[in-house]
Amino acid sequence: MKQEEVYEEEFELKQEKNVISAVFSWFISNIKFLLVPGSRVEELTQREIEYERVRSKRKFIRRFKSFLTITGIVLIFVIASFAVLAPWISPGTFLEANGVYYNQWGPPSEINPLGQTSFGRDVLTRLIWGARSSLTIALPAISLSVIFGVMIGIISAYYGGWVDSIIMRIMDIFLAFPGLILAMVFIAIWGQEIQFIMLAWGILGIPYYSRLIRGNVLQARKLPYIEAARVSGAGSWRIMFKHIMPNVIQPIIISFTFDIGGIILSLAGLAFLGFSDPRMIEWGNDIAEARGQLYNAPWASLWPGFIILLTVLGFMLVGDGLRDALDPKLKNL
Amino acid sequence: MSMIKFIIRRLIAMIPVLFGTLTLVFVLSRLMPGDPILAYLPEGKVDPVLYAQMRHNLGFDLPIYVQYFRYIGDLFVGNWGYSISINKGQDVWSLIMQRLPRTVDIAIFSMLIAGFLGIKTGVISAVHRNKPKDTILRGLALIGVAIPIFFMGMLLQFTIGYLVPIFPTTGFKTYEYGNPEYVTGFRIIDAFLSGEFYMIGDYLYHLVLPVACLSFIILAGITRQSRSSMLEVLEQDYVRTARAKGCKEKDVINTHARKNSLIPTITVIGLSFAGLLSGAVLTETTFGLVGIGELLIASIRDVDYWVMNALVFIITIMFVSINLVTDIIYAMLDPRIVY
Repeated sequence: MKQEEVYEEEFELKQEKNVISAVFSWFISNIKFLLVPGSRVEELTQREIEYERVRSKRKFIRRFKSFLTITGIVLIFVIASFAVLAPWISPGTFLEANGVYYNQWGPPSEINPLGQTSFGRDVLTRLIWGARSSLTIALPAISLSVIFGVMIGIISAYYGGWVDSIIMRIMDIFLAFPGLILAMVFIAIWGQEIQFIMLAWGILGIPYYSRLIRGNVLQARKLPYIEAARVSGAGSWRIMFKHIMPNVIQPIIISFTFDIGGIILSLAGLAFLGFSDPRMIEWGNDIAEARGQLYNAPWASLWPGFIILLTVLGFMLVGDGLRDALDPKLKNL
Repeated sequence: MSMIKFIIRRLIAMIPVLFGTLTLVFVLSRLMPGDPILAYLPEGKVDPVLYAQMRHNLGFDLPIYVQYFRYIGDLFVGNWGYSISINKGQDVWSLIMQRLPRTVDIAIFSMLIAGFLGIKTGVISAVHRNKPKDTILRGLALIGVAIPIFFMGMLLQFTIGYLVPIFPTTGFKTYEYGNPEYVTGFRIIDAFLSGEFYMIGDYLYHLVLPVACLSFIILAGITRQSRSSMLEVLEQDYVRTARAKGCKEKDVINTHARKNSLIPTITVIGLSFAGLLSGAVLTETTFGLVGIGELLIASIRDVDYWVMNALVFIITIMFVSINLVTDIIYAMLDPRIVY
């Protein structure tokens, strides 16, 4: 208590002083710093170092904050909130979205704001509930691809030699195919269930990421600081995952966001062809069902397609923004 | 001379990849649920004696490694078996040869349009950076990359095909016209050789919508890549030197900068072309074209080993050849690349 009273007293005293005398006293106390070029005041240098750390992040954030990237983030946020808050914000429940009603293919009206699709289901409800399946499959699949792809890529590129050759040949075999066909074959083998779709896309992404990171690791392997770490006695695993990985991970981050959009597109494609899990609500499935009625009821097939476009657009915009913000060559943007 | 050695080396390196792919497909197709023997038996209850005899005829009772070697030998010799999924009993070679020219036609048309136009729009977009031209092109490219192919196809079908009925929406010919005499299988060449020119116009008229759809999407990818690599090239020192020496701006771009930006773009073009040749499955399904994409899906759905194996064989060879051609083009473009 007593200390606070003392501080208040001092504060009141200081306020009575003049501004000019405050500035004057600052000059006097820092005169060595002001007059002697090259001298450093310890306290100010410390602060400058901290400012620099914040400023470099701030430049990244400033470059990241362009209008299009914010639009992308807003789009992703909207779709994610559709997925998470579906029971509360959609006009119908999950059972209502899968029910069977009397009139089908009705035009947009008060009850069905965007119209009706097959079996009389409401398009808007199916749009909102469908966000769940896309995001639920895309995120674990891409995490699987990235984690295993990065590990395999770093290990194979670091060791080199015959290990590298064999692993890259296996990856080439997987890459010699259009991904859609291999995914269809995997789903045909394991069954049309949601966990197998995730697994199939996860496995198909691994060759892409390991190739992507392999080039950078081959370059980074020759750098002097890796040699220095080796000489200091670091083991192979420590070098790989503590020294090399943080430096080669940058194209992976950019590719990651683009790839989420790519996986959502491929999922929609698979669902359109009929290879997705029949228990879940999937936008591509809706488009396939409504295709026959394109002329009578265009709303049933065009709205799901439009929302796929919005979702993928959101991820692509964020990916573009990240790429422009992280690219050191485009400094004068 | 080293180029020929490089080609031979690459062709030899193609063989393990080919074998690996064929082995992978063999393993995967044997793992798939579904029995192709049942397609050869009459409907109804399965007679065990007939089943065993069919199994012996088709060669499925041999040990698995013998089956594997017969499978590889058959593929390379050309004995591709008979199809059970699309046209039952037709031999796979003629089935594929009926459908492949359609896919190749669409692929060639789309790549011609998208390739030339894409490089040009990428260069324009990079040169007029942040001006209205660039913004519009970038916006269109972004939409082209993000849009699902079937959605765009259906949009085109609905707007240009139905509301304003200019172009036909499905199929590749009007039914009454029939087919020209079979010389090569490519409809345009056959119609030209047999003198029925109205078929050519009709065919092209039917192909407008699918080719427009596909080339828009591929154009988007090529434009983005071309823009990005052109921006990188325009920051280089030699461009600055050329400008400082008094070169006209258009000469700087066309003569000095453009060739150097082509290498990553050619990669994207090659990959897109390979993807197209392996059957643009979604486009073919949307527009009702008869190509090998549909054949592939049907064979996976009906577990038709013979069609699947033959198609995988063809697609792998095409993919690897396109990669080889892309690498040769790299060497032609950049004299520093010596294999």
